[in-house]
Amino acid sequence: MQTMPILTIQASEKLLCALEDFLEKSEANFALILDRGGIILSQHGTLPATADTNVVSALSAGCFAATRELAMRIGETDCSALYQQGANNHIFISAIDTEHILVTVFGKQTTVGLVKFYSARATKRIAAVLQDMQSGPGIGSLFSKEDLNGTEDLFVR
Amino acid sequence: MSIINYANKEIQFKIVYYGPALCGKTTNLAYIHSQVDERNKGELVSLATAADRTLFFDFLPLNAVVIKGFKTKFQLYTVPGQVIYNATRQLVLRSVDGLVFVADSQWDKMEENLESFQNLQDNLVRQGMSLDSIPYVLQYNKRDMPNLAPVHYLEYLLNNRGRRVNSFVGVATTGQGVFATLNAISRLLLQRFAREAEESVLKHQRPAATTALTGVTTSPAPATLRR
Repeated sequence: MQTMPILTIQASEKLLCALEDFLEKSEANFALILDRGGIILSQHGTLPATADTNVVSALSAGCFAATRELAMRIGETDCSALYQQGANNHIFISAIDTEHILVTVFGKQTTVGLVKFYSARATKRIAAVLQDMQSGPGIGSLFSKEDLNGTEDLFVR
Repeated sequence: MSIINYANKEIQFKIVYYGPALCGKTTNLAYIHSQVDERNKGELVSLATAADRTLFFDFLPLNAVVIKGFKTKFQLYTVPGQVIYNATRQLVLRSVDGLVFVADSQWDKMEENLESFQNLQDNLVRQGMSLDSIPYVLQYNKRDMPNLAPVHYLEYLLNNRGRRVNSFVGVATTGQGVFATLNAISRLLLQRFAREAEESVLKHQRPAATTALTGVTTSPAPATLRR
């Protein structure tokens, strides 16, 4: 297991700013930054009421990973973006770096071209923040072994 | 890989249930989902075939204890057990923090158990990991079936590495062993987390890190969320 990265308040605010700016310019409804294993780093905007963000993140990570694998089977070296066209809501997923993806949900008020254009800018900005996060401080300043006492049975029947 | 998120005050872990086809991985998650309080669980999502066989993965998000103001969140995944879905298993293993290997206790499933366990090790190596570097536990499931292999034989087959791990007998359909298994792997992850914290102290001096992480509460006495 690699060293656990920490998303600081400052980094989190930078990510949120990048997402706010992206949603405002692209006129999309919702944006989500994930690692490629499905862990949520940041989100902004609104999803349809029936959607659970955890589920959207797990499925998006799986979907992008499967599409990337499929692309590589036909001779591509990577997959940079994925577009799902719906009747009312659409999803655009783009790679931020080798470890993270940006998921965007948008409706009829905008176009995939606009979303794609501004997501390219947003991913560069987000990648810079995440790069800093990778080399951030360790977790020793936050927790000690004693803090985990009393957590023997996290789940009980 | 797990992450500490200051904005949401969350620590997230990913646990994958691995094992041969029809060993009970999905049944484990379904039982957990049926027993955990609504406040501490999300939706159980199954990407399955029409015959209810896992096609891609099952997914269940759970909330657990609060440590120094940070919620711990566990994302449980299963892999498809059928041999042909190996590419899919590799995708689900990405960024995994801990593993549960579910074995089928029936005599005639021993070969499949071994193949799946070897397949797990091969897939971990492809991701730069190994069973030596990742927390895992074993569950010997289907102990209610006829024609069972003895537990000591399963131990001989699957728990014979240099590092012996915790193993549990289970009947996932009734819930036997399901929470013991989940608690064991969750505890291992938190212990690893604590160990990493201690190692981190040696690498980074406290004042510098504390300055960078403003707004952190340091109150003790974590509250425990249970169903």
